[in-house]
Amino acid sequence: MVRLSRRNFMKSLFLIGFAGIGGGVRRPVIRPPGATRDFLARCIRCGRCGEACPYDSIRFFDIAAGALFATPYIDPLQTPCYLCLKRTGEGKDEPLGEYLLCGEACPTGALTRIRNTRETLLSLPDELKMGVSVLNRDICLAWQYDSCGECYYNCPLRDDAMLDYPPSEVIEGAVGIRPYVNEKHCVGCGMCNYVCPVNEKIASATLEPGRKLTYFEERYAAMVRNVIGRAGPGVELPAVRVVKRV
Amino acid sequence: MKAEHARRVFQLLVLGVLIAVPLYSQNPIEWAPSRIALGELPTPRVSRVWGDTWSFSFYGVSITHPLAALEAVLASRVLYLPLILSALLPLLVTLLMGRVFCSWLCPAGFLLELTQRLRGRLWMRRRLVLIAGDHRYQLLVFSLLLTLLFATPVVSAFDLPHVVGRELFYLLTYGTLSTGGLLLLAGVLTVDTLAARRVWCRSLCPAGGFLSALGAKRLLRIGKKVERCIFCGECNRVCPYGLRPVELGIDKDYNDKDCDNCGLCRDACPSGALYYRIRR
Repeated sequence: MVRLSRRNFMKSLFLIGFAGIGGGVRRPVIRPPGATRDFLARCIRCGRCGEACPYDSIRFFDIAAGALFATPYIDPLQTPCYLCLKRTGEGKDEPLGEYLLCGEACPTGALTRIRNTRETLLSLPDELKMGVSVLNRDICLAWQYDSCGECYYNCPLRDDAMLDYPPSEVIEGAVGIRPYVNEKHCVGCGMCNYVCPVNEKIASATLEPGRKLTYFEERYAAMVRNVIGRAGPGVELPAVRVVKRV
Repeated sequence: MKAEHARRVFQLLVLGVLIAVPLYSQNPIEWAPSRIALGELPTPRVSRVWGDTWSFSFYGVSITHPLAALEAVLASRVLYLPLILSALLPLLVTLLMGRVFCSWLCPAGFLLELTQRLRGRLWMRRRLVLIAGDHRYQLLVFSLLLTLLFATPVVSAFDLPHVVGRELFYLLTYGTLSTGGLLLLAGVLTVDTLAARRVWCRSLCPAGGFLSALGAKRLLRIGKKVERCIFCGECNRVCPYGLRPVELGIDKDYNDKDCDNCGLCRDACPSGALYYRIRR
């Protein structure tokens, strides 16, 4: 049985009450990297993490989120966390600073300072990670048609957090990439969530004739409609999503 | 030199920083690349100056509003050393000089002063009635109780100068304003222009109340050369907090705990009787 202290009870009452009034937060909240367990208690809503964020990935809740007002979040579908890396192409991503900049900017320690090296990120404790990616093989183009791999190629922790083949499975007739999320190393930056072509935009493009797709999106469009149609209504898009760690 | 002119320099400097910082760190490129594998992206600009009046950082030197630090400590029940250290400088300044933040730095106070000026120029020359009492301390205590009870900072969400800074940052970085901040700002500006002069600063601002309490024993004060005073009452008229500097040095019970050393009375005095003094 989970024992609920009075303080935590009041806290949740406050949050639920406010969420009820404001309509609440639709998607699960992905906090910036390094958010501690008592994040909401420590965050003084100063906005420094958002100003420091080099890719403007960090956004802030409006009053509709109630008690979460003015606290930072990351919506991977709008802008994922780039882990403060300068993206220079094949294998040469360079850190933009010694630490992840949001954690360096945080005055209260609500966001922990994390050294921006691959080793540190790979050995990050679970409670400091933003979340973890979950891959739905049923609607994944790579798994269904051997024809994608965007998530694998774009993962900032490629070959550690995202593998091109499951480590302990044998798949008959696999020629291309079969993306596999290694939960041990995934920090939940949301890059895979961002680049996954199995998304709302491509799926609904045929229904809305006015909507233009780019060349690359057009390449995937038929397959995307196929996998989504096969999976049936109510399937969560995109095929790889960041969820909170439990 | 008029204190008002010196204050304007500081206020404009703060406003300039609030605009320049997000403008510089804003990314002019739309971060929605082609979503092609292995895409190369332009290098983003990394700024080392962050924050506004609630918490500010300049190349690693951090300054935090003492109330923000107090709230974080009360809510999280953790003494985080860098946070405590960053609150020391403003704490010291307030203890020695009173709440000079309100008159010399606060961007919301600056806006409200400007609206008063506008109001005087445009249509209403008549003096405003001071309609509200001082509820800053009640609001402060209430907010701190809420902070303790619900374990989350409360004043941090609606501190007016912080809201001004935050909305500027939202506007210049994301191109949007937050509904919450906008409603609060519009409400305060409307009431201030149409109904009561500086009503937020005088009767509601919990952060101002906190600084008032801290600065109660300040050294920097407004003093008076009683022999010069001609009792015209000009100082009483200009005081934004409804204080009565004309009684200074005459009435033993004269209460100046709400004074924020803005120097308006000093500037207005026709005989030069009022001056800044260091209490020994």
